[in-house]
Amino acid sequence: MNTIQKKIWTLVAVVLFIMVAIWIALTYYNQKTQDQYNGILQRYLRMNEVTNASQQTIASLNNYLLSPNEINLTQLDRSKRQLRSARVGVLDLRNGENDLTVTSYMNLIDSLIETTDRSVMFQSEKESEDSTKAFAEATRISKYISEMTLTLLDTELKTYDRFYRNIIEQSTDLKKFGIWMLLSITLLLLLSTYWFSLSITRPVLKLTQAARELSRGRFDLQVEVSSNDEIAFLAKMFERMRVNINNLILEIQQKAQLEHELQQSKLLLQESQLRSLQSQINPHFLFNTLDTLSKKAYLEGAEETSDLLANVAGLLRYNLKRLDRSVTLYEEVKVLRQYMEIQRTRFTDRLRFETEIDETCLGAKIPGLTLQPIIENAVIHAVEPEEDGGTIVFRIRDEGERVAVEIADDGPGMPEHKIRQILEEHAVDTEGHSTGIGFSNVVRRLRLFYGREDVIDIGSGAERGTKVILRLPKTRRLELEDEAADRR
Amino acid sequence: MRKTVSLVLGVVCVVLLSFTLISADKVFRTSWELPSPPVGKPPQYRLVLITQEQDTPFWVKVAAGARTAAAQNGVAIEVWGSYGKDQEDFLKKIEIAIAAKVDGIIAQGLDTEGFKYMTKIQAASYGIPIITVGSDVPMVDSLRRTYVGSDQFLAGQMIARELAADMGQSGTVILLGDDSEEYYQQQRLGGIRNILAAFPRIKTEYVKTPVARERIIAATQDAMNRLPDVNAFVAVNANIADAMVQEIGRRSRVEPFHIYSFDDSPDTLSLLKQGKLDGMIEQSPEEMGRLSVDLMVRWLNGETVPLNKDGYLTDIRMLKAEDVR
Repeated sequence: MNTIQKKIWTLVAVVLFIMVAIWIALTYYNQKTQDQYNGILQRYLRMNEVTNASQQTIASLNNYLLSPNEINLTQLDRSKRQLRSARVGVLDLRNGENDLTVTSYMNLIDSLIETTDRSVMFQSEKESEDSTKAFAEATRISKYISEMTLTLLDTELKTYDRFYRNIIEQSTDLKKFGIWMLLSITLLLLLSTYWFSLSITRPVLKLTQAARELSRGRFDLQVEVSSNDEIAFLAKMFERMRVNINNLILEIQQKAQLEHELQQSKLLLQESQLRSLQSQINPHFLFNTLDTLSKKAYLEGAEETSDLLANVAGLLRYNLKRLDRSVTLYEEVKVLRQYMEIQRTRFTDRLRFETEIDETCLGAKIPGLTLQPIIENAVIHAVEPEEDGGTIVFRIRDEGERVAVEIADDGPGMPEHKIRQILEEHAVDTEGHSTGIGFSNVVRRLRLFYGREDVIDIGSGAERGTKVILRLPKTRRLELEDEAADRR
Repeated sequence: MRKTVSLVLGVVCVVLLSFTLISADKVFRTSWELPSPPVGKPPQYRLVLITQEQDTPFWVKVAAGARTAAAQNGVAIEVWGSYGKDQEDFLKKIEIAIAAKVDGIIAQGLDTEGFKYMTKIQAASYGIPIITVGSDVPMVDSLRRTYVGSDQFLAGQMIARELAADMGQSGTVILLGDDSEEYYQQQRLGGIRNILAAFPRIKTEYVKTPVARERIIAATQDAMNRLPDVNAFVAVNANIADAMVQEIGRRSRVEPFHIYSFDDSPDTLSLLKQGKLDGMIEQSPEEMGRLSVDLMVRWLNGETVPLNKDGYLTDIRMLKAEDVR
């Protein structure tokens, strides 16, 4: 991992490296310049040395000629040695420009030494006139050497003129270079420091923003930090926390949803009850009256009328009693039969009712008064308008996990938009003479009761009639809650 | 905005860096161009050409000829000299050359004791050959190997012939010469007299003067006062010509006089061009320089030993005023 500490170290190392590089370059350059200067000075010193040595030789010679003793002779020899070594030094001064002059110069030195020797020799042979003459010559030669030294210096200055100017120019250039380097290093350092600090503060800033968003309650924004340091680690942890919180919130929301659904189903039930209560004037009075009417009809020999009245009374009682609780399919089928009896009395032969019932399935739970509104719908739309009536088929089959309840008619069929309206639980305008509970109410209650959407399916073709299939799960999700509600 | 800022920063960065690099390159890459040590093998001989009249047109030509010949022969030559006939400096140069043990000295002849001592005693003791050039000093006095230059006697004769042709069979001629009476001047004078002896009606008057300007003027004045019927002047020493002509011009018109001189002074050619001189002996300075170096090399190589002691004479011509106009 690229830690912040490592980043700081890198920056410092880079700066240090630059400084060291500059130091080395400058030291090297300085050394080089100094060597050059030393070389130049050396040249001048060597020439000067020759002049000095030659003058020294003349002085020693003079002393010796005045008082020719051992000490002065030794002194003279030393001077000559010095002169010889100076002559060797002159060899290095040679270059293309002064080659001839240097040769002459060295020969002059040789001549000086020879003349000196000659003077000493004449002195030892007591030919003092010749000796003095040679001394005069040596003096002249020494003077020539001094002059030639000046000439050489002059030549030197001319030859090296360009070079010296270069040195001056170079020092100006060096100054300029220093300024440029200072500027560019300053800029580079500023930029890299900016970038570097940004690489630390930007993730922190991002994290801060994420924290702020989180504190404001926005849990859906992902916390993303692209750096590669401790902050990124922190951000990752933060992100995990956010996801966890999100999951918890989701769970709570789901629970709330469930609670809400339950509430709604209860409200719907209440609504249904209210409707049925509204439609009931005085139910007990009505039941009793109907019972009395039934008995009366029986006593008067109108048995059919008596049965009919009994059915109506049963249906009404069921309606009032069963609406707010689940019933078994058996009970529903029983009520359905009573209802069909009543309708058959009304339509006589025009209504044909066929049933195929798997008796084993009749124990399944179903909300009360769900099948009757559907059948009623079929009667209203498939039998009532037709002159020669219609057939309604009622089937109950076992489909393993589920119980299929099928109500089919051979009426004119149901338009597509109406099917959609029903399935989307919109209120449908019901034709006046129903028992009051609408189709969409049934659908809603079924879905709430079983807690799933796919319990009802409506198929219809223009000629085929309408087929409503209910697929009722044998076990239902909200069973427990429902039972609890029942107990209340 | 951000893009602009980073673009500007980038450009600034690049500019700064490039300037830094350029100046770094300048500082570190500058070659310390020291003069190179001498290349190739040293030249075979070191020769020195020494004159008393450095940088006069005549001696510049001699030096140029000598340099050309030196380059051809692969020897090194240095041209030393004094200015304005500084004899002391001239002799010192010769002594330096001797002490510096050059291989050969080519020197303008100077007919003085100092010069003779230098060449006869000093140079001989160091074993350095000397060739005189331009003007000669007799071999017995200087122990020179040879002489390269004009035949001054012949030059004098040419002047005299020209004079006789221009002036006619009779007249008075003033010969103005330098009082040191060097060998070459004696030769010239000898030549002139040699011819003019054949013309009994031409009277010659020899006037000696020091080379200082006012002395020349005085001498000219004096001679013209003594010989008012003078017809012609000959400046035997070319260096005298300018002051002489000036003095003549101050007294009367220059044109009627026949005035002659030699070319070994910087003034004579311009005087000739102005028409103030009627004629001038032109020598061959380049040829002198070239030939002297050639001969020296040949002698040093042992190809021509000994050199012709009478000298090697170079061309001379009479140059008349009409020719240069």
